[in-house]
Order: sequence, then structure tokens, then C-alpha cells
Amino acid sequence: METQRRRVAEEMAISIQITAVLLLLITGGAAGRSADDLVAELKSLRSQSPSGVIHLDDRLVSSFLTSVGTPRPYSLLIFFDANQLRSKAELRLPHLHSEFSLLSASFAAHHKDDASSSRIFFCDVEFEESQQSFDLFGVSSVPHVRLVPASTRSLRDSIPMDQSEFSRGAESMAEFLESKTKISLGGAILRPPRVSLRQVLFLLAAILISAPFLIRRILDGDTLIHDQRLWMSLALFVYFFGVSGTMHNIIHNMPMVLPDRNNPDRLIFFYQGSGMQLGAEGFAIGFLYMVVGLVLAFVTHLLVRFRSISAQRGFMLVGMLLAYWAVSKVIYLDNWKTGYSIHSFRPKSWW
Amino acid sequence: MADPSEAKGEGSLRKAFGGVLGVFILLLIGTLAFSIRLFSVIKYESVIHEFDPYFNYRVTQFLTKNGIYDFWNWFDDRTWYPLGRVIGGTVYPGLTLTAGSIWWLLNNLNIPLSVETVCVFTAPIFSANAAWATYLLTKEVKGTGAGLTAAALLAMVPSYISRSVAGSYDNEAVAIFALIFTFYLYIKTLNTGSLFYATLNALSYFYMVCSWGGYTFIINLIPMHVLLCIVTGRYSSRLYIAYAPLVVLGTLLASLVPVVGFNAVMTSEHFASFLVFIILHVVAFVYYIKGILSPKMFKVAMTLVVTIGIAVCSAVLAILIALVASSPTKGWSGRSLSLLDPTYASKYIPIIASVSEHQPPTWPSYFMDINVLAFLVPAGIVACFLPLSDASSFVILYIATSVYFSGVMVRLMLVLAPAACIMSGIALSEAFDAFTRSIKFQLPKLFEASPSDAGDTNRGTQDEPTKVDNNTPTEKTEATVKERPSEKHRKKEKKKLEKGKEIKEKGKENADKVSNKPLNAKKLLVLPLEASAVAILLLIILGAFYVVHCVWAAAEAYSAPSIVLTSHSHDGLHVFDDFREAYAWLKHNTDVDDKVASWWDYGYQTTAMANRTVIVDNNTWNNTHIATVGTAMSSPEKPAWDIFNSLDVKYVLVVFGGLVGYSSDDINKFLWMVRIGGGVFPHIREPDYLRDGQYRIDAHATPTMLNCLMYKLSYYRFVETDGKGFDRVRGTEIGKKHFRLTHFEEVFTTHHWMVRIYKLKSPKNRIRGKSKKKTNPKTTSKINSNKNVKKNPWQ
Repeated sequence: METQRRRVAEEMAISIQITAVLLLLITGGAAGRSADDLVAELKSLRSQSPSGVIHLDDRLVSSFLTSVGTPRPYSLLIFFDANQLRSKAELRLPHLHSEFSLLSASFAAHHKDDASSSRIFFCDVEFEESQQSFDLFGVSSVPHVRLVPASTRSLRDSIPMDQSEFSRGAESMAEFLESKTKISLGGAILRPPRVSLRQVLFLLAAILISAPFLIRRILDGDTLIHDQRLWMSLALFVYFFGVSGTMHNIIHNMPMVLPDRNNPDRLIFFYQGSGMQLGAEGFAIGFLYMVVGLVLAFVTHLLVRFRSISAQRGFMLVGMLLAYWAVSKVIYLDNWKTGYSIHSFRPKSWW
Repeated sequence: MADPSEAKGEGSLRKAFGGVLGVFILLLIGTLAFSIRLFSVIKYESVIHEFDPYFNYRVTQFLTKNGIYDFWNWFDDRTWYPLGRVIGGTVYPGLTLTAGSIWWLLNNLNIPLSVETVCVFTAPIFSANAAWATYLLTKEVKGTGAGLTAAALLAMVPSYISRSVAGSYDNEAVAIFALIFTFYLYIKTLNTGSLFYATLNALSYFYMVCSWGGYTFIINLIPMHVLLCIVTGRYSSRLYIAYAPLVVLGTLLASLVPVVGFNAVMTSEHFASFLVFIILHVVAFVYYIKGILSPKMFKVAMTLVVTIGIAVCSAVLAILIALVASSPTKGWSGRSLSLLDPTYASKYIPIIASVSEHQPPTWPSYFMDINVLAFLVPAGIVACFLPLSDASSFVILYIATSVYFSGVMVRLMLVLAPAACIMSGIALSEAFDAFTRSIKFQLPKLFEASPSDAGDTNRGTQDEPTKVDNNTPTEKTEATVKERPSEKHRKKEKKKLEKGKEIKEKGKENADKVSNKPLNAKKLLVLPLEASAVAILLLIILGAFYVVHCVWAAAEAYSAPSIVLTSHSHDGLHVFDDFREAYAWLKHNTDVDDKVASWWDYGYQTTAMANRTVIVDNNTWNNTHIATVGTAMSSPEKPAWDIFNSLDVKYVLVVFGGLVGYSSDDINKFLWMVRIGGGVFPHIREPDYLRDGQYRIDAHATPTMLNCLMYKLSYYRFVETDGKGFDRVRGTEIGKKHFRLTHFEEVFTTHHWMVRIYKLKSPKNRIRGKSKKKTNPKTTSKINSNKNVKKNPWQ
């Protein structure tokens, strides 16, 4: 089925190529279009998008790439996108696409009116609307970035960007571009500031206005920060945040759960091997860490004040069972995850 | 509040007995802390461990041989060739001076220990000290019981053991003691308001600065606490005495340490303390004015002071920001930056990211390093809030910051460990307190009458309310004990006033308790008897598990010296002593001025054990130099030879684990060499060494990989061992098996092939070599290996 579709697509691609060639022969228009025209058209397309990324479809691919004789007056850096796969978190398509747009915007900012601005154009292609272009390039998986240098005749010979080269974001894409095309980016990637100037000014004004009131309340000693419960929950939260390894998940961009490779319906919550952990796993264990301590604190500080003895007895029973369960669960999971077997050292004569 | 006079004699006897018992327990804790760290000596031998300790050992040797002045001015030409390194000015001298003085003292007492022995046992001695310091600190926060529990926990906390086993002669060993002791003195000053302790605090801080770069943690944590106290309305003159001398004296003393120098006033790490210093003065001034003015006048003056204060503060802030912004890293060193923005290091500094102890930990690391303490800490945090005092707010801040930092770098688990011990000590002590109290007051009644139902017990408790009030240490009385000495030291006020003030100070937090006092006095704070007994049993089991885990961790996980390796297999114990074999070979077979190139991990050991000059070492101060070596290792033979020759290198040392399955060898570290090399020399590109993003050395490896120097030096003649060239670390056959070296010659390979040493061929010999091939010793070795007597020609 799949192969059949593929073959059909290939045949279509061939037929389109043929028609393109025919068109070229018949009209002579495409060939007749001068390099300057093409560049001007690309430039106008570029100016339509805010980041300078040109959206290509099958028609534009043929008119700018296949039907133009080499060497072309420009190179194209093409990002292959697929709307249906954008929801898959592990592919990080939206993120990579925004990085790609950043690269394009930065390039445009650094080369406003000089010659190199017309030597390279940034484009993207969407899978569903331009499947033939995907076939032309021989692209079968996304995320994928390809550079079509000016002299490349067959699109399959264009240079693919390595996984490692675009996974680190716009900076590494720029490195790739500079090493392959010898066109320098001419400066750093211009990332938009997290807070805009207007927001900064607004915040500053807000702080200035509220400062007298705040100081007065601090001196009077009745603010939220004088509330001990707030501090306690904050301290407990920070502790939870730390022991559940959230930092690890943030730094390494770990997903909450992984799909099981053998059985796609199931999800993996716990990862075996001590060097890595999943998000949900960390939170689960952090919760177990917390629950024992909180039960202990509850018993030693709150439960002793209870008047009813049977309530005390009941709460203690539940608390001890809960704590015992949590501790044994963590010990079991730790042994399972790390593969250590903790044992005591005792004289051999004991047993 | 006053003790009943008739019970006074009995009380003092009990107190004396408790004191003696406490000292005895502390002695036992010290012994425990010392002896649990001796597994490495028992299982292996009395030897210095790992990498950095070898450098410290070498420095200590120099110190004991040449004296303090030569040490201070020591320029070391054995390392970072041709740059050299000023040791006196770039090293934290605390550890070296400590061990040096211990050695000097012992020698003057006619106890002739070698420097190495002193160095090996410095860390266990100081862990005993750290346990005692923990006792003092926790005692200041929550009393003796909590102190003893915390000290016992710290004596065997695995995280600290990992850095302080016998032989692990590193800065952290003494620094953790200094850290806890500085905190203790700060809390002590805060509780007493005594200038004596404030001065001691500054001195202790000086010792910490001498010992470890982690002192910045102190100089940021204490200001944070001061600020917190001010903001939550806890300012007092004691706070001023605790903080102001520390900043003034501490900063002056810190700048005396050469490695810190003007950094103590110039870098952003220290700015927080100055800012808080200013704020503290403003606040102190406000309180002073408040004292001498009438309320109405004060309101007017307040507005004035606040305006001026804000103006001054913002001016200073603006100057600071301007200063900071003018420096490229915003005044922060790379390591501190990677703490604040955790993704910083992985993005920009491969040399920091490459070190495994700078990785963020996962939850099993917490369970491995602080074990059941992870469960107890939340209870300790809650206990510290009931009631919140200056001291307990400090430990809360300590645990919160350290747990965050430990989440960023696994190495900082070490700073978390004391905080976790203190918190768990408090939690355990409070829990035992509650449970044993329940048993103590209910057990006698079990024998007197036979209380069958709950109502009976309840009535029984109501029978003796006076006894309850005197003996049960409820939180209220404890809080009074905490507050009282400070009040005494402040000013001689009338007793009435003092009492009124006391109530006022605590009023807010224990308002309900105070007002409910008559009610509470009747109700004994107890839990059901049998449930308490079971709970105690569970806590003891938990503690026993902790002990078992700690002993196991000390014996199995953290005692390996990594200079001698062992492995157990079905036919018994194997010892791999290849590193010392190789260093000894270098020492005895090469000229004293020969230069040896290796990856930086082995720099310290080479200088300390072989006494040969190295190109780079574990003090990774010069990225370019390291990148040069990385580039040489990643290049083909000819360019590599050129690079090494330009550095006067005569021998190249590589560590290879493929034969015995030693996984932290150079091939596994190789990608970092490529990355670091490529960071400076762009012609080295990581993708060239990867096949489809995968690092492999088998037949599918890229040609760049198969031709680089590291591959060739590691796998040269490897196929002769088993005929196939099967690498046991990577679990695959190597890609290129038969090849010759053109620019290097093998001069030594250790017993298990773990260290291989090559000599750079001189260019002249290379030309003549072809005709002289017959006499080359290599041919004889080939014959040997063909006979298959032993694979290694050097045996």
C-alpha cells in the first residue's frame, strides 16, 4: 500500500518534471526569465513574511529550483515542515521552525541592503501541500533542513543538515550555513528580549509607585511575607522541587512520559538506569519523599494536640502504614532503577 | 518559669550526668565518623585517591620540604608546559596548610609519620570535627537532643563520606567542617550578641575562604538570612553584631588569600553581602531614631530617612549594575553562572559540562547520597517553623538554597548533606521526644491501675497537671530558653519589662498557645501508648536501614581509590595496578625533563607520581591549551606529531580500557576532546567523528575517527591480543585492526594494557628507520606474540 502510494507519487513527480521540462521548452519563458527577475521575485516573497522565511509549494519549488539552469544566482536553505507532526513533542518541529525563522530574521537584519542578502534565501516547505517537493528532495523524515547551493543540479544532491547541527538551535544552523556557503551571518543571532522595553518601563513604574506603600507595610509588619505558613510552604516546595530532580528535567528537556516502543498503547513512567529520569517519575518519587516527612511532622506537632484518643490512634495507624508503604516503595524502586543491592556486613557465623 | 527549689539538687545531678553522657556520645560519634572512612585503607591500602588529591599531596610535600615562604612563592614549571603555573597564588591553601601543620606538630612530638600518611588521614579526622560542629550548630537551633542526633547522622552521611574517605585528600574534606563551624559561630553570635563569637566567626570564615571556593555560598547565604530577618521584622542589635563584623573583618581577611585577593571586593558573588551591609545600617539607623524620638516625630523622620535611604540604595545599585554590565560574563564566574542559569554551562562551556560531577542529579542520587534523610527533612522543616526563631530560620534558608543548588550540580550534594542531617536530626529528635514522652507518662499508669478504655487514660492524665508543666519540654518552654540568654546580654532591663517584651515577641506566633495555657496544661501532649511504641520501632528500623546503607556505601561505593582497581570474577579477585606501573615506568625510564602529553585527567598524577612535566592537568585554567591537546588527539598522526613536537613533547600517554573493560578510558572521553578542541580550532568538527550521530569505533566508524591519533594509539596492535580486536568496553570489534604507526612508537604498555605510552619518533630516525628495521625491537616483540606465550611484550 505504502510502496504503491510512493510509486504513484514518484510517477507523478516524474510526470511533473516532464511537464516542467515541456513547459520550459514550449514557453521558453522560465528560461527566459532572467536571474534578476527571479531574485526580485524571491525578494518580494521574502518581504511578505515578517521573519523573511519564504513559504514554498510545489509550483514555487519548480519555478525557483528545478526549472532554473545552474548555477543559480542564489542558494536556498529549506526547512521541511509537516503540520500533522507538529503535535509530536519529541520532534520539536515548532521550536526548530521558530529557531529557523530567527536565523532568517537575524540574517536579514545583518544584511539589510548588501549583496549577500540576495545570495541566500530561507524557505520552508510543508509536507501535505507539497508532497512532490519532498519526493524531489528525497526527504522522508522531519525535522529536516537542506541547503541547495547555487551549483547543485539535482535536488537530491543538495546538502542535508545533520541532526546534531540543527538540534542546538539557530546558532548551530548559522554555523552550518557559514561553513557550507561561505556567507557569513555577520553578527549574533538576534533573539527577541523576553520582556519588551515597554514592559520594562511599565514594571519599573509599577515598582516605583508601589514602593512607598510596600515599605510602609513592611515596617508595620503586616504583609504576606510575615505569614509563616507562606514561608513554610515555600520551603517545602523548594525541597520538593530539588529532590524530585526537576532541575535535571529542565536542563535535559526530559519529557513527562515516554511511549513504549514495543507496545505503543502503553506509556513508560519509570526509566531504568540511574543517569536519567522522566518528569512524572521524578514528581512521583518527590511526592513519596515528602509524604513521610509530612506525616511525621503531622504526628509530632499536630496530632499530639488532639483530644480524642481514638482519633489519634486511627491517624497514627494510617500514617504509619502510609510512611511504611512510601519508604518501601522508594527502596524498591531505587534498587530496581540503579541495580544496586544494598546489604549489611555481618559475621558469617550469624547465619 | 522558676524551678522548684527542692528539685534543684536532683536537677543539677541529672544535668551533670547528662553532660558526661553527652560528651561520651560525642566521642563515640567522632570515632564512628573516623572509622567508617577507613574502608578504603582496609580494602586497598593507605594510598592517595583519584586525581586532585595527588596535586594536593604534591603541594603538601613541597610545603613540608621547603617551608611556607617558598610554598607561597612557588612557580611550578612541571605543569602546563611551556606556561607553568604559579601554585602559591592559584591554590586554596587551607587544606595544605592544615595537613602541613599536623605533620609538623606530630614530627615535633617525635611521632615520625610520613607526609603521605598524614594526608591520607586528614579527611577522616576532619569529618569527626565536622560531626562535632554539626552538634554545636544544631544545639543552638533546637537543643542538645537534636544536636546529638544530627551529629550522628552527619558522621555517616554517604554524600560526605564520598568526599572524605581516607585517602581522599581534597579541599572539601576540611571545607565542610569549616562551613558548618562558620554557620555555628554565626548562629551563636546571633543568639548571644557577643562580639567574641563574632570575631571567631570572621576567623572561621577566613579558614573557609582558605579552604574552598565554596565559601561564596557562605557569603551569600548569611546576607540572605540577614535580609530575610530584616524583611520579616526580626531586626535586633544581635543581628547587627552577627553580621557587620563578619563582612568587615571577613572581607579583609578573605582578600589576604592570594587566590581570592581583590575578587573579595570586585566580583558579583560578593556584592550581595555589601548591599545587605548597607541595608542593615539603614535599618539600624531607623531603629535608633525610633528609640529616641516620639512616635509623631518618628513618623516625620521616617519619611525623610526612607527617601534618603532609597536614594542612596538606588545610587549604589546603579553603580553596581553599571560595573557589572561592563564585564563580559556580567562579573560572575562560569561556575556560579551555571548555578543561577542552569542551562548556561551546557550551552557555552563544554569544559564545565564535561565533568560528570557538574551534571544535575536524578532522584536516585538523592537516595544514594542522603538516603532516608530525604524522607525526614520535610518534618524537620516543619519543626523549625514551630516556633520560628532567628536560628531556625537560618537553617531553613540553608536547606532551601542548598537543595536548589544540589539540584543543579550533583557535586553540591555535599553542601546539602549537612543541612539534611541537621533537619533530620531535628525531626528525629522531636519525634522521639513526642513518642517517648507518651510512653514515659502512660507506662506507669498501665501498672498502677488497669485502664481498659480511653476515657480512663484521659482522666489519668488530668490528675497531675503540675508534673506535666515542669517536665514536658513543650515547644513553648524551649522557645523561652532560646530567647532568654540573648535578652540577658543585651541590656540590663527590669525584669518586668523583659518579661513583657518576651511575651510580645513571641506573642504573634504562639498567641493561641499562650492564651490556651490553662487548657493546655491540663491536656498532656501525648499519643496513644501502643501506637507510640510501634512508631518508635518504625523509626528505629528506619535508622537501622540508614546505618546499613551508609556502611554499604562507604564500603562498596565510595572507597575505591581509582588509582588501583579491583574486580571480582568467578575465579577470584583481580587487582589492576596499571596506573602506578605506568607512572613508575615513566619515572625510571625517562629523562627528568621529558615532557609527557596526556588528556588533562592524568596531569596531576603524572606530575605527582612520575615527576615529569605535563602539558595540561586537572586545573583546567587554560582552555586553549587543553584544546590544543584535544586537537592533537583528534588529528591524524602527522599533524598530531607536529602539534606535540611544537610543545616539546617526548611521550604520549593514553589510557585504554578495551582489554579489561575499564569504561572511563580515553576512547570514551574522546568526544569531549573533539568538542573542546573544536571549540578553539574549527577544523575539528564533531560530526566528522560520528556516523549518523552515533559514536562508534567499529567497522562503520567514519574514516576521520579511524585515522585520528587517539584511535591509533589506543588500538595499536590490539588485534594481537585475541586475534579479533574485540573491545570489551564498547562491546564490538574495532573497525581498523591492522595498521602501523608512522610518527609514534610504542615504548611501554602496562600489564592489562590500561596505560600505553608512546614516544614521538624524531624525524631523522623516521627516514633511516626503513633501512634499520631489522634491528627494531618491535620485530622481536612480534615474534613473541606470534608464539602466543603472552600477549604483552613487556612482561
